[in-house]
Amino acid sequence: MRASPRRGPRKASLVLVPFAAFVGLFLLYPTLVVLYKAVTPGGALGFDALERALSGTYRTGFINSITLSGTSALIGGVIGLLLALTVKSLRRPAWLRPTLDSWSAVASQLGGVALAFAFIATIGAQGFLTKILKGFGINAGDYGISPTGFWGLVVVYLYFQIPLMFLVMMPAVNGLRETWREAAAITGSSAFRYWRSVVIPLLAPAALGGVLLLFVNAFTAYATVYVLNPSGALVPLQIRFLLQGNVITGEEDLGNAIVAWVIVLLLASLIAMTLLQRRTLTWTRS
Amino acid sequence: MTIEDVAARRGVALSTGGTRHARWRSVRPASVVKSAFIGMVALYFIVPMLAMARFAFQNVPMALLTPEKLFDGWSFSGLWTALSDPGIISATKTSVLLVAFAIALNLALLLPLAIITEVHNPRLRPVLSAVTLLPWVIPPIALVVGVAATFRAAVPWFLASDFSLVPFYALWAMPFTYRALDAGLQAINARTLYEAARTMGASLTTIIVRVIIPNIGAAIAAASALTAAMVLGEFAFASLLLKTTLPTEMVNYQRGDPRGGLALALIVMILTALALGLVVRSLRRRGLTVQTAGI
Repeated sequence: MRASPRRGPRKASLVLVPFAAFVGLFLLYPTLVVLYKAVTPGGALGFDALERALSGTYRTGFINSITLSGTSALIGGVIGLLLALTVKSLRRPAWLRPTLDSWSAVASQLGGVALAFAFIATIGAQGFLTKILKGFGINAGDYGISPTGFWGLVVVYLYFQIPLMFLVMMPAVNGLRETWREAAAITGSSAFRYWRSVVIPLLAPAALGGVLLLFVNAFTAYATVYVLNPSGALVPLQIRFLLQGNVITGEEDLGNAIVAWVIVLLLASLIAMTLLQRRTLTWTRS
Repeated sequence: MTIEDVAARRGVALSTGGTRHARWRSVRPASVVKSAFIGMVALYFIVPMLAMARFAFQNVPMALLTPEKLFDGWSFSGLWTALSDPGIISATKTSVLLVAFAIALNLALLLPLAIITEVHNPRLRPVLSAVTLLPWVIPPIALVVGVAATFRAAVPWFLASDFSLVPFYALWAMPFTYRALDAGLQAINARTLYEAARTMGASLTTIIVRVIIPNIGAAIAAASALTAAMVLGEFAFASLLLKTTLPTEMVNYQRGDPRGGLALALIVMILTALALGLVVRSLRRRGLTVQTAGI
């Protein structure tokens, strides 16, 4: 079996080459070109494009996008985590867990055109819920609950954020062993103490990592906001605006610079998420 | 470790103590709170779907809808009109082909790579795992700028075709595909199978085609279903490169025929959800823990 030790690595590199070439050509090459152009606006090394990308309306865009993504990630994270904990503790309807599991796999993919349509029919001006609330004398628009309002967008984003958090947290929550709770109980700890000293420290890294993933997920969502409010001041919509009007020279550099900042932000979030996730893996696997 | 040992040794005494404790403290009120919470979350997920279905299939404007009229005017006419629209038909064809090509390209690149990494060079696994996470860092809305800056100028004929989307869709499906395939390979102990087949004199190609691939059918199905769902939902990249796929055409169509557009979107969503849900359920039945979130 070990007669030809060289064959293995050679074969491995044989399949690695097309893969690396593919990723290099279609993902890394365009990305590196954008990053390079972002730091060389107009052909010479300089940071004014990167500075302009964080000033004026573009600064507003970043602030709005970060606020929207952060809010929907935090709320979605809390609800998703609570849902995972609740489902683990409830054993009775046997169909509950597999149903939620399949549904979450589906719903976490639903962000897009159809989701935007669904919420236009729900909280839009002629929406079902808007009409019902009006029947109770409540004008939902006054609270920002319209497809173009801030809280309206948060409500829409939660539709894919909650299931994503549920999916990400379920392995960690399942890793909490019943024996730990029993051990805490027999050593005289109260339920509160068990939560404070065992559950929260164990779940915190996974939960924080999950929230970061949700943040990334919301930040890059495009289809939903495009359908609901194409003129909104959010980063993805500003990128569209710059891309479609790139006849004006200089605007192209601005687009590249915005994308560069987006990549930096996403990369930082995902590296932090991976580090937090690694801490969780060490105890869920053992 | 010691706590677990103690707990395991005293398992019986512990669990009775535990349930009595729980029953005394919290069973009744807590389970009411839990059920109420799950009910509210369920309501949040169901109401928009019902509202969408009402809008799509009931030909009564919201302003005229009263409780008595709730069952009037339901019909599928909007859906049939949308489904016979030539623009929608041709966009559907494009999207179906895109799904097929993206799945084929993705599997062609990742299936041999995942298998050979697992049986020959497991040290590469974390590298592959990290590389296949890159699409999260460079999402469609970011990459489209790079593609416009490079391919559009250098090889304009390439972006002229609708099928230039295929390599990019294969890229964004990688996080899902690789994790599904990897979970499948782990579950069947691919390395042991490989070594067993190898001792009996099988060649690497024979092992991959006749031993490993037939055993990870469920994982391949999951990878394909996740890729299909991703391609059928992708809007940003296609729209910004001015391609006509089903999602972009749906937005277009909906402007002229809101009811038909919503009906179509609902049907596409239900079909995708059913396909994906079935695959996930069959995976869970086999005990495969595939992370469908793609991380």
